[in-house]
Amino acid sequence: MDRSIQVIAMCLITNLGLIFFLYPADIIASLSTGHWSAVLLGFVIHIGMVSVYIKGLSKCAPKNVIDLFQSAGNVFAFLMLLPLAVYFVMMLIITVRAYAEIVTMVFLAQTPLWTIMLLFLALSTLVSLWGIESLFRTSMLIALLFFPFLIIVVILSFQNVDWHYMLPFVDRKTATFSYVFHRPFLQSLFAFVGGFLFLGFIPPYVPYQSRKIIMASLLLLPFFLISVYVPLLTFGENTASKFPFPFIMAVDTVDISWLMFDRITIFFMISLLCFVVLFLSLVMWMTLQLLKRSMHFFNAPIASVLLAATVFIVCLLVPSWSNVEQMIWWNTYLRLYAAFVIPLVTFALGVSRRRKEVIRP
Amino acid sequence: MNLPEFLKSRQEVDSDLFLHPMILAYQSVVLAGYRSLIDLPQTVTLLRQLTLNADAADKPLFDLKSGVGIPMNDPGEREVLNAIADGQMLIYSDISDRCMRLVPVSRTLSRSIESPTTENVVRGAISAFNEELDTNIGLIKQSMPTEKLQMQSYALGRDQRRRIVLLYVKGKIHERLLQSISQKIESLPEKDIPDLQALSDLLGFSKWTIITRYNTTEIPQEAASALAAGKVVLLLDRFPFALTLPILLSDMFVSQSDRNVPALLQLSLLVLRVLGVLLSILLPGLYVALVSVNPEVLRIEIALSIAGSRVDVPYPALVETLLLLLVLELTFESAVRLPKTIGPTITMVGGIILGQAVVQAKLVSNVLIIILAASTIANFAVIGVQNTMSIRIYKYLLLILSSMFGLLGLFVGIVVICAYLGHVNTFGIPYLSRWKAGRRYG
Repeated sequence: MDRSIQVIAMCLITNLGLIFFLYPADIIASLSTGHWSAVLLGFVIHIGMVSVYIKGLSKCAPKNVIDLFQSAGNVFAFLMLLPLAVYFVMMLIITVRAYAEIVTMVFLAQTPLWTIMLLFLALSTLVSLWGIESLFRTSMLIALLFFPFLIIVVILSFQNVDWHYMLPFVDRKTATFSYVFHRPFLQSLFAFVGGFLFLGFIPPYVPYQSRKIIMASLLLLPFFLISVYVPLLTFGENTASKFPFPFIMAVDTVDISWLMFDRITIFFMISLLCFVVLFLSLVMWMTLQLLKRSMHFFNAPIASVLLAATVFIVCLLVPSWSNVEQMIWWNTYLRLYAAFVIPLVTFALGVSRRRKEVIRP
Repeated sequence: MNLPEFLKSRQEVDSDLFLHPMILAYQSVVLAGYRSLIDLPQTVTLLRQLTLNADAADKPLFDLKSGVGIPMNDPGEREVLNAIADGQMLIYSDISDRCMRLVPVSRTLSRSIESPTTENVVRGAISAFNEELDTNIGLIKQSMPTEKLQMQSYALGRDQRRRIVLLYVKGKIHERLLQSISQKIESLPEKDIPDLQALSDLLGFSKWTIITRYNTTEIPQEAASALAAGKVVLLLDRFPFALTLPILLSDMFVSQSDRNVPALLQLSLLVLRVLGVLLSILLPGLYVALVSVNPEVLRIEIALSIAGSRVDVPYPALVETLLLLLVLELTFESAVRLPKTIGPTITMVGGIILGQAVVQAKLVSNVLIIILAASTIANFAVIGVQNTMSIRIYKYLLLILSSMFGLLGLFVGIVVICAYLGHVNTFGIPYLSRWKAGRRYG
C-alpha cells in the first residue's frame, strides 16, 4: 500500500520546522546581495542528494539503508553508520537545546529552560515509542490541522514588503560562488540535511513512490526563498543581518486590525515547534534503529529513555547560545558526511547490488 | 437419571419452575418450564393442536416425526437445566422415561420497537434496536436485504450463557479482520460477558484506553451502512446497541443519515462537527494559556477587558477553570441520573448557579462562563455519546499543559492527542485510516 502522501507530509513538516528559524540568518550572513543564488545552490544540492539517495534505495527496494549497508559487510556497515548515529545524536542535542532557547527568548521568558527541554524530549520519546507508522499518521493529521494556518501567516508576512530591496540581483561574490566554503553557508545546510535522511530508514514499514517525493520536495523551494526574502524585503539587508531570527522578526511586524490577537508570530512559531517535535521523534526513532542493529541487548523502551536522558543531560551542560552556535559549527563535518557520503554510498551499493542480481538471478 | 424426582427436588429451590400434569394423546405427561418465561395457557393450546396432528398421522408422541418437539434420550442434569433456562419447555411421561423439549409460546418480556434514546435522527429511519437479539438481527436484515449478509452465532459464558452474533457482508469484509475477531471470540468460550468491558477484554483490547475500539449505534440503518462499508457488527443478547468494528476517526464526524441531505450541506455539517471538536478541546486551554502565561498575545483591549473581569477573582486561572468545569461535569452526570420528570430542575438550578450568580459573587470571571459554555455546547456536536466522553478527557490534558507552558503547552498537547490517535488501532486497522469497502487497510 502506497503511503507517499504521509511521507510527503512528513518531508514538508521536518523541513518547514527547520527552515524558518536559523536558516535565514545564515543565508543573510553569507552574502550581502543576490541571496537567491545561495538559496538555489543549497536547494539544488538538496534535490540532487535526495534523488541520488532515493534512486539508490529504489534499486534494492524494499530494503532500508541499514539492511543495504549490512549486506556489504557488518564491519563496513558499522564504520559507515557510526558517524551517522553520532550525527543524529548531535542533531538531537542541538535541536532540543536551540529550540528551547528560542522558546525562552521569544515567549516563555519566565519558564526555566530545563522544563522546556524536558517537555520536548518526553514528548518525542513517547511519540517515537509508539512506532514509525503511527508517527507518520500523526504527521498527516498535524499537517492537515496546521498547514492552512501556516500558509495564511506566510502570505500575511508580505504585508510590509518593499520590493526595491530585491535589487541588485548579482554582484561579484554571488557570481563566483566564493561564499560556498565559508562558515555561514555551510551552516545553512543544516536546514536541508535534517529533512531527508529518514527516507532511507522507513522502508519497508512505510512504502512510498520515489518520484512523488522528489516532486513534492520542489514545493519546499518557495518556503526557502520566502524565509530569506521576507525579512530582506521588510528590513533591508543591513538591518536584517542584525537579527538572530530574521523571519520571526519580519512576521512580528505584521499588524492585522481584524484579528483578536496581537502577535500572530507566536502561533506561527508554536506550530513550527510542533513540527520540530515530530522531527525530533523521527530522529530519535532513526537513532534507535541504528542502536538496535548494533547492540541487540537494548529493548526499545529502555533504550529510548536512556537516549533521551543522555540528550537531556548534555543539553543541561550547554551553558549559552554561543555554545549552541559553536556546536552547530562543529557538527558541520558530520553534516557534510551525512549529506554527501551517505546518499552516494547508498547509490553505489544499490547499483552494484542490482548488477549482481542481474548477473546472478 | 430419574427426571421426575430431579425436577421435584429442583422445584423446592426454584419456585418459578412449574410442573403441570396433563393428558396428551391418551398418555399422562408432565410439562415443566419457567412460569416467568412461558405463556402456559397459549402453549397448552398449541400443544393440543400439535398432538392432534400427530395422532391423525398415526405417529407416537415422543418421536421426532410427531413434530411436537425434540426428543431427549436420557438427558443429563446440565442439559435439562440449560434447556429450561433457555426458556424451553420439557414434556416427560410419568410412567415411561421418555422426554422431549419444545419451544413454547413465550411471554413478551421486551419493549416494542421504539425510536432511539441516545441518538437523534433528523432525516432517516428512526426505529431503534431493543433488548431482543432476534428482533435486532431482523431489523438489520430488513435494512439490508441481501444474501451476502452472513452471520456467526456464539454463546459465551460458563454460568450465564450470553448469545453474541457477528454479522458481516461477504465480499466487503476484510477476511483478516473477520478471522482475527472470530478467533478471539472462539478462544475463550467459557468467559462470561456481563458487560462491554469484558467483551473488550475478550477481544484483547487494552484496558487503559480513552478510545473504545468499537462504535456503538442504536439505529439499524447505521449498522447496515457499517456492514455495507465492510465493517463487522456485533450484537449482544439483552443489549440494545450494535457494536461496529473497527472504529475510525470519521465515525465521530460522519453519519449515514447525513447522506439524506444534499452533499454541500453534508460537507458543511462535517466542517461544523470538526470545528466543534476543536473548539471544545481548545477553548478552556486557550483561556488558561492566554490569561495566565501569554497575555501579550492578545490585543491590548481584549487583554485589558479579560483582566478587568478577573480583578476580584482570588485564584489562578487554572483553579478557576477547573472549579467551573467540575460543576459542569457534575451537571452532565446528574442530568443523566435524574428521572425525566424532575430533569428541568437541574437545568434551572444549573442555569442560575452557572449563570449570573457565580459571576456576581466574583467566584469566576464572566469571560470564562462564555468560554466554557461554548466549549460544552461544542462538545456535543459530534456523533455518538461515547465519542463525547473521550473529547471531555482531552480537554483536561490541554488545560494542564497550557497552565504550565502557555500556548506552547496547548499546541504540544494537540501533538500528543494527534500522536495518540495515530497510535490507536483495532486489529491492525489504524484509527486514522481512510476506510473504503474492499480496500486493503493501512
